[in-house]
Amino acid sequence: MRAIDWALLSTFLPLATALLLVLVSPLRRTGLGAGLVSVVSAVATFVGAVMVLASRFGAEAGVVHRTIQWLPHSALGGVAHGRGAIELGVHVDGISATMLVVVTFVALCVQVFSIGYMAEEPKADFGRYFTWQSLFLFAMNSLVIAPNLLQLFLGWELVGLVSYLLIGYWWKKPSAARAALKAFWITKFADMGLLAGLIVLFLATGTFDWTVTTAAAGTVTLLLFVAVMGKSAQFPLHIWLPDAMEGPTPVSALLHAATMVAAGVFLVVRAFPLFEQAPNTLTVMAYVGSFTALFAAVVAVVQTDIKKVLAYSTCSQLGYMVCALGAGSQAAGFFHLTTHAFFKALLFLAAGSLIHGVHSNELSHMGGLLKKMKVTSGAFIIGSLALAGVPGLAGFFSKDLILEEVLHRGLWAPLGALLVAAFLTAFYMGRVMWVALLGEPSEHAKHAHESGPSMLAPLIGLSVLAIGVGYFGGTLSGLYGEPVHFHLSAIGIVATVLGLSGLGISYWMFGAPQGGKAILEAFAPVGRLARSGAVNGFFAWSYRSVMTRVAAAIGWFDRYVIDGLINGIAYGTLEAGSRLRVIQTGRVQDYVYVVVAAMLLIGLYGAFWGR
Amino acid sequence: MNSIFDSRILNLVIFFPLMVAGLVALLPKDEKGQIRAVTLAGMIGSFLTTVWAWGRFEVRSPVEFQLEYRMQWLSDVGISYHVGVDGLAVALVLLTGVLGPMVVLSSWTFVQERVKEFHIALLVLQTATFGAFCAIDTLLFFMFFEAVLIPMYLLIGVWGSEERQKAAMKFFLYTMVGSVLMLLALFAVYFLAAPAGARSFDYSTIYNGLMGASRELGAYLKANPGGDGAGLTPVALSLFRYGPYLFLAFAVAFAIKVPMFPLHTWLPDAHVQAPVAGSMVLAGVMLKLGTYGFWRFAVPFFPIAARQYQTLFATLAVIGIVYGALMSLAQRDIKKLIAYSSVSHLGYCMLGIFAFTAEGATGSAYQMLNHGVSTGALFLLFGMLYERRHARLMSDYGGIAKVMPVYAAFFLVVTFSSIAVPGTNGFVGEFLVLLGTFKSNLPMGFGVLATTAVILGAAYMLWMVQKVFFGQVTHQENLGLKDLGRREFVAALPFIVLILVMGLRPQPFLDVLNTSTERYIARAKYASGEGANDDAKVRVNVRQLPRVAVADAAVPAPAPTFRPVVSPDMVRPARPFQLQPLQPNLQQVRP
Repeated sequence: MRAIDWALLSTFLPLATALLLVLVSPLRRTGLGAGLVSVVSAVATFVGAVMVLASRFGAEAGVVHRTIQWLPHSALGGVAHGRGAIELGVHVDGISATMLVVVTFVALCVQVFSIGYMAEEPKADFGRYFTWQSLFLFAMNSLVIAPNLLQLFLGWELVGLVSYLLIGYWWKKPSAARAALKAFWITKFADMGLLAGLIVLFLATGTFDWTVTTAAAGTVTLLLFVAVMGKSAQFPLHIWLPDAMEGPTPVSALLHAATMVAAGVFLVVRAFPLFEQAPNTLTVMAYVGSFTALFAAVVAVVQTDIKKVLAYSTCSQLGYMVCALGAGSQAAGFFHLTTHAFFKALLFLAAGSLIHGVHSNELSHMGGLLKKMKVTSGAFIIGSLALAGVPGLAGFFSKDLILEEVLHRGLWAPLGALLVAAFLTAFYMGRVMWVALLGEPSEHAKHAHESGPSMLAPLIGLSVLAIGVGYFGGTLSGLYGEPVHFHLSAIGIVATVLGLSGLGISYWMFGAPQGGKAILEAFAPVGRLARSGAVNGFFAWSYRSVMTRVAAAIGWFDRYVIDGLINGIAYGTLEAGSRLRVIQTGRVQDYVYVVVAAMLLIGLYGAFWGR
Repeated sequence: MNSIFDSRILNLVIFFPLMVAGLVALLPKDEKGQIRAVTLAGMIGSFLTTVWAWGRFEVRSPVEFQLEYRMQWLSDVGISYHVGVDGLAVALVLLTGVLGPMVVLSSWTFVQERVKEFHIALLVLQTATFGAFCAIDTLLFFMFFEAVLIPMYLLIGVWGSEERQKAAMKFFLYTMVGSVLMLLALFAVYFLAAPAGARSFDYSTIYNGLMGASRELGAYLKANPGGDGAGLTPVALSLFRYGPYLFLAFAVAFAIKVPMFPLHTWLPDAHVQAPVAGSMVLAGVMLKLGTYGFWRFAVPFFPIAARQYQTLFATLAVIGIVYGALMSLAQRDIKKLIAYSSVSHLGYCMLGIFAFTAEGATGSAYQMLNHGVSTGALFLLFGMLYERRHARLMSDYGGIAKVMPVYAAFFLVVTFSSIAVPGTNGFVGEFLVLLGTFKSNLPMGFGVLATTAVILGAAYMLWMVQKVFFGQVTHQENLGLKDLGRREFVAALPFIVLILVMGLRPQPFLDVLNTSTERYIARAKYASGEGANDDAKVRVNVRQLPRVAVADAAVPAPAPTFRPVVSPDMVRPARPFQLQPLQPNLQQVRP
């Protein structure tokens, strides 16, 4: 089989699985059966993705681009416009092959993990969960192999849809239903930018290709970036991501850490030829990204829910990627996407395993878990250290690359923000580690026990990658551009020192028995501000006060003015009729009077004026 | 190629439901099951005839009106029974045919009183709708257009909810006002378009007659903008003076039907009070008569006036889109919410029509089909819930997904179609309309505002879904609700299939629609001075009746061989019964 066949296999096999589970409801209702079918399909999908990546090193390593017509050109004003027809298809190159492997591997790990994690769910819900997991894999892969921005948009919307379904998996909980709705609204709001960007691009060039050169690139990329801000949770459109943690933890690992939220970054990586034509957009991206990295890191410090810490951490790391792309480095942004996918998925799954052990998300309900859950804790520590940028682990390499690029561009303010964020990242991850894994076990944590093998195996697999993938930066980036070569630079040493000191300070504050409460006190106002959710409040306020009031006002207008006018006419007609009815008395004499009077008038008219 | 049946298919399509109605009329009143079964079978048969017509429609044929049939009828005033379909019409006919069986299934248990009359009304409605979409003669169109009102009035007024009488009356009067205006304008174009003797209500006569005048006027206006019309030929002069009024008369009639803002207020009342079947047909098919009217009559007849009023109508369309969405957001009553969402969706159709670009027109036509499917399905599904609970407010529900999981899944898919999620049909239409609007000569703001309504759509639909389906069951009564039965499942499933098929594989539909979008755009842009006037493309070519000039011919003398059986002094000398050769002698016109 050729690369394109493997790519098609890894896209449509999950779809077939999802359809099978949707249509054959007895299979879905078996629960575990549905899960196993889904996992087997995910294994095959992963193999397909690996074959696609392998083909990049083989004899036919060229770009594979194959499309079919979807909307006929006649619907689009004929052939006057470029190629005219809108096409769907497959595009295999280094970027999509790498992303395909990342997505399918994390998805496989998550699905295997879910078998254990979701085991206590009712069987029908369990089946539903895996149906959506398979559907997600299809949507995400069709986004990844998109040959043009339109297909990318189709996949983009579909992953948003599955995200809505999976966040709302526990829809009986009002908070979950609300979170799902919020996530959909915010991302849909941002997606308008993508839609408008696509339309502007099409009108300017007649295609949806990202390779075209166009004068409209500035407008197009700015519009696309709005969508990126929504999907990849950049300030101020990040507010849906923390709420999205209402979904099951494996969902958070797959969608809201490793793959779906990274779709925004992937869009920029994919459409980088377009973005390169728009230096202003890149600058905006660098600033927005670095601010998000810093802001989210600050907020993460004061969260008490382990998933919320990780969610804000995801925001922060996505900010790194966006900033790297804004600094003009496709390779650095995409490489950090790759490494982040592995260690953040690892962190979420490990956190899921901890949560499974203590039946609570709250950090204060954990403590001392290192002794009770050795493998999980080990995995969590590996993930944390990778995220904190400890030398030798994956995060170190990609973060260093980003800082170098930003420095190289002379973007000083973003660089400063990223360095502070690097310190804070190490600090808040250290805090979680010390509080959850060391210290005195709380009531909940006393009965904690290690999770089963189906949950531990994915943790081990991801741990290996979280340690090792950093060494393949050169190979991977060589697939689509100049290979980047790692070398320890001054800025890398600064970041490492900052990271290690973050870990150390957090140990001194939270890990050591005596603790440094004074610093905690000093941070209290920041904590209050972060937890008060000012940004969130702004959106809620603007929705409530603007949208609903406008809607209510228009409702009044419709009811009383427009409809009132119509009813007024009807009423007027009725009224006039009833008034005029008085004339029709039914007495012959009255009619005779009228007839005589009329004849008289006509006669007079004829006699005097009518000549 | 041509089958001998081709010219008769449309007659079958139009009158098959009427024949079934005759059959139903013969059934005893109390045999409700029989009545329903016969109607369902008839609707399925009717659906198959529309599929046949769709299958015989040739995408690559240069002929505009295919499956054409023409017969003399009221020849003295130039009216003939003339039917045929172009791409848009055949698609709308198919849509009407698809909805038929679902409508019957939707009311299977809901309607228990006057069952026979109800089903006869449904069948007659079907015939009238088919007729309106197929008619090429404008007066024939008008008759069917009006005939649609009567069964619909009865459906709302007899089988509706509490305030049905008022809603039905409002619906009827509102639409009648528009129809009167249209009839007057129709008479005007009848006299304008052709000299005495050649006058006819046929679409071809009127269009081809006005075409020359439009071109003359277009050239004149280009040469001396702001001229007073001096030097124009009489017809062009009349078009110059009265064209805008005539266009507005047509436009108001159709705008009421669509309905466009601010003529939409009959719609929520009608929808809320109508029974499920009424709402389905109303939203699914009847509203399209309005957009179809713009597409077929108002814009092509008066391209110059239409362009003068382009900004006005595009503005109203955009207002309708945003306004309808905001109104939906303000509703607590689910049926009203769906009704106002129709105003918003039809706004997209109108925007596409008045963008005067190929993308916009195609998107608009596709959106007409989409709206029929998705809103028809929404009313169908909500009707099932209403039948169980007899409550329309969102607050009466909550957590329904727990008691009716299959139903919730169906509703969710239809919701996604309604908010135009890619992969469903809604996306294709909306995307093309937006593309066409941005591309058109309209200011950028129109496209931008229309795009914002995409998010509003997601807001009100998903908010409603959340209130109704998610969370805990808050009312005791809702705990015992039964999930979909087999009949309901069968009624809802085709919609889901259509939503996905039309979303994933739009090309076959777009190919058919394209045959008429090209002509529509050419006609709308005719005499605009942009590019050459492609007369060969816009001219309407139809079959001509043999020019025996029936109108002028005196009553022929009795044939010599004719001998009355009865004594001549007992009866007046009768006109002999003469068979006129009809179809076989028609001259085929191929452009």
